[in-house]
Amino acid sequence: MTIQDLVREATYLEIPLSADECLKCNVCNTVCPVSRVTDRFPGPKYVGPQAQRFRLATILPPQSDASPRDASPDHTVDYCSGCGMCTIACPADVKIAEINNRARAEIQAGRRPRLRDWLLGQTDLVGRLGVPVAPLANWTLRNPVIRWLIELVMGIHRKAPLPVYARSTLRNQLRRSAAAVVDGRTASDTDPSPDRAVVLFHGCAANYYEPHVALAAIDVLRRNGFETIVPEQVCCGLPLMNNGLYAHARRRAATNIPVLAAYARRGYRIVGTSTSCTHTLKAEYREMLDIDDADATAVAQATWDICEFLVDLHEQGRLDTGFGGLDETLPYHAPCQLKGHGIGLPAMDLFGLIPGLRAIDMDHDCCGVAGTYGLKKEKYNIAMAVGDPLFRRIREADTARAACDSETCRWQIEAATSTPTRHPIEIIAAAYATGDHDRTNQPAEANAAT
Amino acid sequence: MATADVVVVGAGLSGLTAAIALAHDGARVEVVARGNATTHWMPGGFDCGSFPGAASPSAAVEILEARAGHPYALLAPDLERGLAFLRGVLKTEGLVYSGDLDGPLRAVPTAIGGTRRVGIVPDAQAAAMEPWAARERLVVCGIAGFKDFSAGPMVASLRRASVWGGDGLTARPARIEAVEVELPDQKGRRNINALELGRGFDDPAWRRDAFERISRAVESTGRGPGRIGLPAVLGIAEHAAVLDDARRFLPLPPFEVPLVPPSLPGVRLYGALRAALLRRGGRLSIGEPVVRIETDGTRATAVVLSAAVRERRVRAGAIVLATGGIAGGGLIGRSDGRLEEPLLGLPVDAPPGDDWLADEAFPVEGHPLELAGIRTDAELRPVDSGGRSVFENVRVVGAMLAGHRAIRERSGDGVAIASGWRAAQSLRLGRAESERERPSRRGRRPAAATPVARP
Repeated sequence: MTIQDLVREATYLEIPLSADECLKCNVCNTVCPVSRVTDRFPGPKYVGPQAQRFRLATILPPQSDASPRDASPDHTVDYCSGCGMCTIACPADVKIAEINNRARAEIQAGRRPRLRDWLLGQTDLVGRLGVPVAPLANWTLRNPVIRWLIELVMGIHRKAPLPVYARSTLRNQLRRSAAAVVDGRTASDTDPSPDRAVVLFHGCAANYYEPHVALAAIDVLRRNGFETIVPEQVCCGLPLMNNGLYAHARRRAATNIPVLAAYARRGYRIVGTSTSCTHTLKAEYREMLDIDDADATAVAQATWDICEFLVDLHEQGRLDTGFGGLDETLPYHAPCQLKGHGIGLPAMDLFGLIPGLRAIDMDHDCCGVAGTYGLKKEKYNIAMAVGDPLFRRIREADTARAACDSETCRWQIEAATSTPTRHPIEIIAAAYATGDHDRTNQPAEANAAT
Repeated sequence: MATADVVVVGAGLSGLTAAIALAHDGARVEVVARGNATTHWMPGGFDCGSFPGAASPSAAVEILEARAGHPYALLAPDLERGLAFLRGVLKTEGLVYSGDLDGPLRAVPTAIGGTRRVGIVPDAQAAAMEPWAARERLVVCGIAGFKDFSAGPMVASLRRASVWGGDGLTARPARIEAVEVELPDQKGRRNINALELGRGFDDPAWRRDAFERISRAVESTGRGPGRIGLPAVLGIAEHAAVLDDARRFLPLPPFEVPLVPPSLPGVRLYGALRAALLRRGGRLSIGEPVVRIETDGTRATAVVLSAAVRERRVRAGAIVLATGGIAGGGLIGRSDGRLEEPLLGLPVDAPPGDDWLADEAFPVEGHPLELAGIRTDAELRPVDSGGRSVFENVRVVGAMLAGHRAIRERSGDGVAIASGWRAAQSLRLGRAESERERPSRRGRRPAAATPVARP
């Protein structure tokens, strides 16, 4: 065994062995949104640190007999949504959600994946197939009879909040408009310098369903003096990980990391509008997939959530704060993936800069959907129950729109509350637009005021 | 937030009391904590002092404040004000407390069949504190399959007079009986936990059925005045409504007996404190351990938190250190017998390591280590061995304070509340002096202050 192997093994065990720190204090069970609403999932402590000692028996090579053991003694772990609230609340730093995510992968390992789970992980494929026939695809996915059939055949719940395909992908729109650099090459000297440009990791949602979110980000970035470079990329792999398909996810990571690392090494910051994708780049390649080589580390260190990036600009006094007023109340949901970033609530910080905007943190743990979890037939009702207090509060607020950083959460909230739900960057862009509008229309007044 | 008037490190009772009081006065407050803990373990009442020889919490406080070096020597006057403020805040959130500092300390049953003497308890535990009338009985009701609360063994122990004080002076129930009921949907279930039961009670139909079953079981033990002891599982989110129903539908007045973690009275308390803080515009970041606190030598300037990558830095006008003493990780014991305060390297007042096991591991009068902590001036600023303030904009609260034996004296909650309150008052006055223009009391505040170049 080389030293490298030893290091690799130690890293690999860092998360499984964190169960050793468990005090059995039950705080994780207290905060788990899934076990709160269903007894199909007994709670993170039971399937996590408590069941972990049996799993460790298979992770640590047995001294003598090599008889195979059940890799995961507790299959109810499949009902863990992966929201990560348990890890956040744990006072002993046990990586409970990560342990459970790996346990789910262990159950899948060596098995042929269920078609449904495989398909939910193939966000690129599903996106590429849908966009060219967007009107038809959107009609199909909104047809109750077809949805009923899909539920029957595939196990995707007929009411699950599926997104609406864009008429054209973000990448195609960018190619046409030349708004941002986009092509097949890797980082080169002809790119604008890192203090004038950032790299966009748009992810699947912005590419296939919500190009307007990425376009808003590109606008806001340009306004603050940053060009946007959009390099080749594939799905980050999180939907695959969430469905236990680690091997598939590793292939995605292996495609993304070298391209992004080339930029990271040149000093570019990688910015994303999806808190899930950026969290994958920041943490999950290492924590779930055990990829922690120099390239992956460089990518992780260079990755920023868009709002985190803007708050940082503000800290440096570089953020354009020429926001116009938005006289509205805005319910805001911080997605569980954002909480995993450990960056506070940067969207709320930015909202605080917009005159008149009354943003209210809904302070709810999870909207329920947790990526692809809430789309599944057997989990849809659980997901809706998890998010129910949030939905009720948003409905009661009775506002024109709500805000949330993560795409699947937005779709879930919109479907459940009928309240249009926007990415914070869209709100920021709207506030800039109002500011511009005010300045153009009332120059005399504005001048008089100053 | 990237800049806060005050960053509170620690989300236990002392830290949250300070944070709520500060936010209430218009300060921009962010509470940061590595996780949830102490609130989810505590029985939910406020122990301000309780030991033999003290008839009321005030009497206990009076004895303790006379001890040199005890936090109450600095904080006794703040206890009443802090407690009144906190109870007001909690009442708004639907959590009512019963009892008073000047009221009696009374023996109430514990889940293993002992008693503890308490003065201020959540409303749901209040009925246990009433003096027992001559013919009154206690019916302890267990729940089938719920291992955290065994009515039979508990009652067997409670039947011993010695458990109730042994002095013959403490009134106790004339008769004590145990019953056990099976609650709805629990047939054949094992591993039922308090959370599941609490959520069951939150549901109006489920709890109606449950109370009927409990009523039948209690009535089977006969008639006559008395009370029902129940495990502390009477609802979480809907606790107030559950308690109302319990009083309406049960044949005798009920009280909750707090359990091992997860302690629902503590979970409810945390929920109310959290809501109260957010309502006042405060922030709460759980799960991001503080890596270090930056200083310029005389003042703390920023709190640095771990994040998924890089670090998060929150510039702070002032810092409240509510990191929970030895049990909370606020003090770290080294193998050579030193105790360290890891975030600011504050001087720790602690017995030398050689004394830790000098006589016996668990001496009756308490272990010397219990007294370990940070020494402060009257404003709760940490001081060195010469009594000089080390960081002028830092306040130390709760279990971090040297000089009290929180468990033995049952003074931990009182010290937490009084110090949290005092820290907030002290920082508020400091802010008023240093800022000409203070933000409006509950108005919207900008999330980040004027940009400052990063060092």
